[in-house]
Amino acid sequence: METVYAIFIKDGAWLTILKGLWATVQISALSLLFGTILGALICILRVSNFNPAKVFAQIYIAVIRGSPVLMLLMLFFYGIFARTDLTPITIAVITFSMHTAAYVAELLRSALMTVDKGQVEAARTLGFSKVQAFQLVALPQIIRVAKPVYQSTLINLIQWTSVVGYVSITDLTRVINNTAARTMQPMITIIGGMIIYLALSYVIHEIFAWTEKKN
Amino acid sequence: MKLKKVLSLLAVGALAGSLFTGCGDTNKSSENEDIKLGMITTLNASEQKVDEILKLVEQKSNINLLHHTVTFYKDLSAMQMGLESGSIDEMSTYDCVANYLLAKKLNLHVVEQHGMSLSDSFCFAVLKSNEGLKKDLDKALAAMKKDGTLDKLVKEYITDVKAEDPPSVEMPHIDGADTIKVAVTGDLPPLDLVLANGKPAGFNTALLAEMGKRLNKNIEIFDIEGDARASALTSGRADVIFWAIVPVDDSRPKDIDTPEGAVLTEPYFTDKITHLKSNR
Repeated sequence: METVYAIFIKDGAWLTILKGLWATVQISALSLLFGTILGALICILRVSNFNPAKVFAQIYIAVIRGSPVLMLLMLFFYGIFARTDLTPITIAVITFSMHTAAYVAELLRSALMTVDKGQVEAARTLGFSKVQAFQLVALPQIIRVAKPVYQSTLINLIQWTSVVGYVSITDLTRVINNTAARTMQPMITIIGGMIIYLALSYVIHEIFAWTEKKN
Repeated sequence: MKLKKVLSLLAVGALAGSLFTGCGDTNKSSENEDIKLGMITTLNASEQKVDEILKLVEQKSNINLLHHTVTFYKDLSAMQMGLESGSIDEMSTYDCVANYLLAKKLNLHVVEQHGMSLSDSFCFAVLKSNEGLKKDLDKALAAMKKDGTLDKLVKEYITDVKAEDPPSVEMPHIDGADTIKVAVTGDLPPLDLVLANGKPAGFNTALLAEMGKRLNKNIEIFDIEGDARASALTSGRADVIFWAIVPVDDSRPKDIDTPEGAVLTEPYFTDKITHLKSNR
């Protein structure tokens, strides 16, 4: 118990861990927001009948999903944006948003494919406008199908952010690694870090479960 | 009949087990057993290159590395976990790190290395195009060596290492002065560590604070993963990084691990390599 106290509480260690957790939450939340918007746009391009847009979306998805996110992050931070004034957090959010967008685009496309076109057409025959048919008939079905995969994407995103220590961001993983090196108690420290990540995933699970119940 | 079958099956199992595990003396001489040794990986020399160098060391010195199987680890914590889990028998680290671990009363002891006297030196790495900064750093280091400041810091942070964390280091702030950006890794105490309050500390940080005063420059420290040091330097994100080099002797070649495009200052500290073993 004394060791656990020395690792996680003593001399303000808990506050440093909380700051690291905040960096993780901040990067994940912003990346999810921008990644979802960008992903929806990519999805529109992917399903459009305009071929160049479709090809662009296909290449984007293939390149981003096929590249390890750490390589992309390092390329942006130490290469493309190295001489700019963008903060490490901003570059991380750009990277993870782009990465998340590729996954969101694909999950939205697969959800879209499950919607029966006949239902939308029937709504149109009944006098619904295009927007109304999409909003009232297609969208609820897309959300229902996409939700579980979206939840997994968010949990994956939180875990992907654990590499931001490579670009000078002190996130939860980096704090845990620093603490392990300082206290020379890597096993206990890493188990503690895992519990915090698990708790975060549990919170997300509960939020999604709550929205499910509400519906 | 069934009992007979079961007994014969058990007998066959026991025979097969004894063949697999060996029927001879289980207390084999430890001299003939392979020692699984953990080392922190070099960043620019491949593991094959390091193997070749270890063979060269063996040929040209009295050191017997024949019975060592080396496993490379990313950092000290990973290697320590390897030792705790039994994946390796011994871990190779610096004397100062070993003393820090022992001061923390961890369940470890130093392994007697007969005839082994390897050591590494620590220095700063800057870009080749930043020769002026290298000269400034060398000049400040020479002055610190001459007036005994370096020895004082070695005594405070390394020789007199304690179980408690070292004190926090205040970086001097000089209005209007240029800033030198330095990347630290925080994974090699007591040289480089991050305190519970999240601030970098240790010998290297104290050395940087002193050098900032002497060079009349502000020092901005940021914490990154050890493997990202070379990228930080070559991209210009960092002006200075810390680097360990192998002192040149007739058994080991020069600059085996220096990043491309970087130059190294004169070493500011040299430390022996020690092997640690778990008491379990």
